[in-house]
Amino acid sequence: MKFWGIKSFMVCLFAAAGIMGAFLPATGVHAGEITVYTSYEEDEAAAFLAAARRDLPDIKVNLLRLSTGDLHARMLAESANPRHDVIWGWAVTNMVDPRILNMLEPYRPQGIEKVPARFRDTENRWFATTGYMAAFCVNNEVLKRRNLPMPTSWEDLLKPEFKGEVVMPNPASSGTGYLQIASILQMKGEDKGWRYLEDLDKNIAQYIKSGSRPCNAASAGEFAVGASFALRAIKNIDEGFPITMVIPSEGAGNELEATGLMKSSRNKKDAKRFIDWALSANAVNEYYRWKEIVTVSGGTMPKNFVAAGLPEDIGSVMVDMDFNWSATNRDRILNTWQQRLER
Amino acid sequence: MALSRQEDEPSPRLLFRRMLTMISPAVFVRKMKGADGEALLRGLMPLLVALPLVLFVLYPMVHILGRSFQTPEGAGFGNYISVMGTSRFLGLVYNSFAVTLMTTGITLILAYVYAYAIQRTRIPFKNAFRLFALIPVFAPSLVQAQGLVLLLGRNGLINRTFGTDFSIYGYWGIVIASVLYVFPYAFLIFSASLAMADNRLYESSRILGAGSVRTFLKVTLPSTRFAVMASGFVVFTLVMTDFGNPMVIGGDYSVLATEVYNQVIGQANFEMGAVIGMVLLLPVALAVALEKWLTGGRNMEISDRAQPLRIQPHLPRDLAFGSLVLPMASVIIAVVGVVIFASFTHLWPYRMEFSLRHYNFDVQNGIAPLWNSIYIGLMAAGIGVIAAGLGAWVTERCRTFMDGPLYFLCIAPAAIPGMVLGLGYVLAFNHPSSPLAMLYGSLLLLAVCNVYHYHAQGFLIASTSMKQIAGTYDEASAALGGSFIRTLRKITLPLMWPTLVGVAVFFFMRSMVTLSAVIFLITPSTQVAAVSVLMLEDRGAVNQAAAFSVCIMAVVVGVLLVARLLLNAFGYRHISLIR
Repeated sequence: MKFWGIKSFMVCLFAAAGIMGAFLPATGVHAGEITVYTSYEEDEAAAFLAAARRDLPDIKVNLLRLSTGDLHARMLAESANPRHDVIWGWAVTNMVDPRILNMLEPYRPQGIEKVPARFRDTENRWFATTGYMAAFCVNNEVLKRRNLPMPTSWEDLLKPEFKGEVVMPNPASSGTGYLQIASILQMKGEDKGWRYLEDLDKNIAQYIKSGSRPCNAASAGEFAVGASFALRAIKNIDEGFPITMVIPSEGAGNELEATGLMKSSRNKKDAKRFIDWALSANAVNEYYRWKEIVTVSGGTMPKNFVAAGLPEDIGSVMVDMDFNWSATNRDRILNTWQQRLER
Repeated sequence: MALSRQEDEPSPRLLFRRMLTMISPAVFVRKMKGADGEALLRGLMPLLVALPLVLFVLYPMVHILGRSFQTPEGAGFGNYISVMGTSRFLGLVYNSFAVTLMTTGITLILAYVYAYAIQRTRIPFKNAFRLFALIPVFAPSLVQAQGLVLLLGRNGLINRTFGTDFSIYGYWGIVIASVLYVFPYAFLIFSASLAMADNRLYESSRILGAGSVRTFLKVTLPSTRFAVMASGFVVFTLVMTDFGNPMVIGGDYSVLATEVYNQVIGQANFEMGAVIGMVLLLPVALAVALEKWLTGGRNMEISDRAQPLRIQPHLPRDLAFGSLVLPMASVIIAVVGVVIFASFTHLWPYRMEFSLRHYNFDVQNGIAPLWNSIYIGLMAAGIGVIAAGLGAWVTERCRTFMDGPLYFLCIAPAAIPGMVLGLGYVLAFNHPSSPLAMLYGSLLLLAVCNVYHYHAQGFLIASTSMKQIAGTYDEASAALGGSFIRTLRKITLPLMWPTLVGVAVFFFMRSMVTLSAVIFLITPSTQVAAVSVLMLEDRGAVNQAAAFSVCIMAVVVGVLLVARLLLNAFGYRHISLIR
């Protein structure tokens, strides 16, 4: 009787251990199963994946979608024991981080010649099929209420009447934010570029720590102008928000989304089939339905993109970005930005 | 877990069983008999508490600590020098303290008043008011801030309705959101403490002619002194290390916790994140030391001869407290209510007609993450009760030389920002050489992470209540020849039972809504509900994010109801479930 407590305690302990054991993951890789990490927006990724499942019914694709910065941090944290087979649709600027490049295995998928050479790695570690570009979301209701003119360029945002009405992403945490200031620095040159950013800073209400939220904040009417990316603006217009998409007349900064095979993949056969699929006609079709930038020819832009104000010849409004420059100078630029402008 | 894995290999299993027999304390104790056995058990108990804490708190933190000294030029203080050498860093420290101290002060006063009204007055609808106070715990903290923006934002309900033009973003936004976020924790601790009172003290005070103010200052306040320290400490650390609220509503008002987020997420800079994480530990460690020092000579108010408090009718008192509690409850309801309302509108704030379209989730895996969260919550509740309850009992009752270090271990997790803990888990457990690598990628690790993320709060709820059970019971039991285990089973557990149920509910609720630590541990097959909310929120599907939060709240409230009915069925009607 004296030690009843201990006995029952031990019984409970083992019962608990047994129950927990049931929740442990099955170890070992199943044939026909791959894990893919992506930064495609939720709805895009879901549509692409549905198409992939139709074309590759025997492969089970486990997809994890995180924003660009989150995924970067996660892959570095997991680098000792990577969990994924494929990186799919992830910012080139992050992909060319040497720590990431070292994890990738060179692979030439079927149909790689369809991707222009400037959109792929010289050593075949990655190729980019899609991309996104900077755009402003301008709230028509707020413009009217506060009697503001419709801005058409980055330069317009310097006007004193926009003081406290502009939000943009914090480039230290947001990929979209970084491509915006990288494009300004590349277009204007560093001296003029930094002077512009310092002037703009006087009108900025907030630097928001996400690339899509400035557009959402403007859509919700919290601010007049949110510097964000084009697809977000198109989606919010489709949703019914009273906003206008403005592509800055100086040119829109942009980012490409790349795909690569992991050296550590435990199912390279299926991983390669998935990457081949990412260049197939069906995949490209889907890209054209969802993305403002597609590097592979073979489709046309959806009507709602054009209706929202995207020109059919997208190249005419895009800044010719030097991604190598963006990648190699990332730490230095962010340091400077933080010293001079971060609040 | 090892047993189930080795089912088809008999010989290692037998070996394993034999090993277990050898190390089982029960067998040891049976062999040694009597007082020796009990002494040994007393010695083993602290180890049983310490081991998991070392494994799931210290071990990941050692990995993070190591990272903070890792520089491209080898080990050194380079990261610390480059972080602390900037004026920006001093600004962040100042901001963090400004927000945290203000929030702590406001929360302690409001939560004390609220808990006093519930436990010591005769205001009507107490059960409803108690539930209202706890509403913020039911929802992801992101939604609290979202509710505030919907209400008080530049284009929020108030500004739109009254044509005013003020902005909630910044210092006061963070403070208000943080008060809402931590209010329930302080309330729970005050409420548990104020629930216990010895009527004889109040009788004596009345007979001796003391007024109500004097009675409060001389009797009530001293007897809840420990609760004031404990909740002050909990609130301080929660606010100091929270990044959700400052991120959503802070605008450009940065604090140390958001800086960790910036460094790790934006720049994949684990080293810098680790440094600031380490810096965050400092004020929190000081708070712990201060609390320990201040409560060093505490005295017990609940003795074995205590009589339950009889609250006298007193209309002016009840009216006064009612008029204080009502607006507080209204604010809490309004902030969550506006989110629920927004989830049913077509397009907030432009088209307010009713719509269910946001409940058709087009997030990855749809509604499945909600089920994962429920599994994780149940596991965390089970593990959490054992961990926190055992921790409180051992530190309060066993009186071993390990008490001090154990107490520190038990509350240390409060000092660790969830994000830092999550990163520590990835670094520590996702390594092929780690003995626990198999845990990575399982729902169990998410549950364990939640338990140790919130260990301190669960532990403090248990230990506050344990402190108020006088040690004389134990002495009486021991004098009558009752063994140490028998005392636990016959006296401590029956008295502690309501608190432990509260602790289980606490861990379940936190697991349902927490975000910061688990965001690094989710895998494609282990998505959780709160992360789905963040993803929807991030994508701009504000209405859908609100709808998903409503689902989370519905589950939490549903589980509370089920637990309530179960307890009632077993005759524990008098036990209040949420403590």
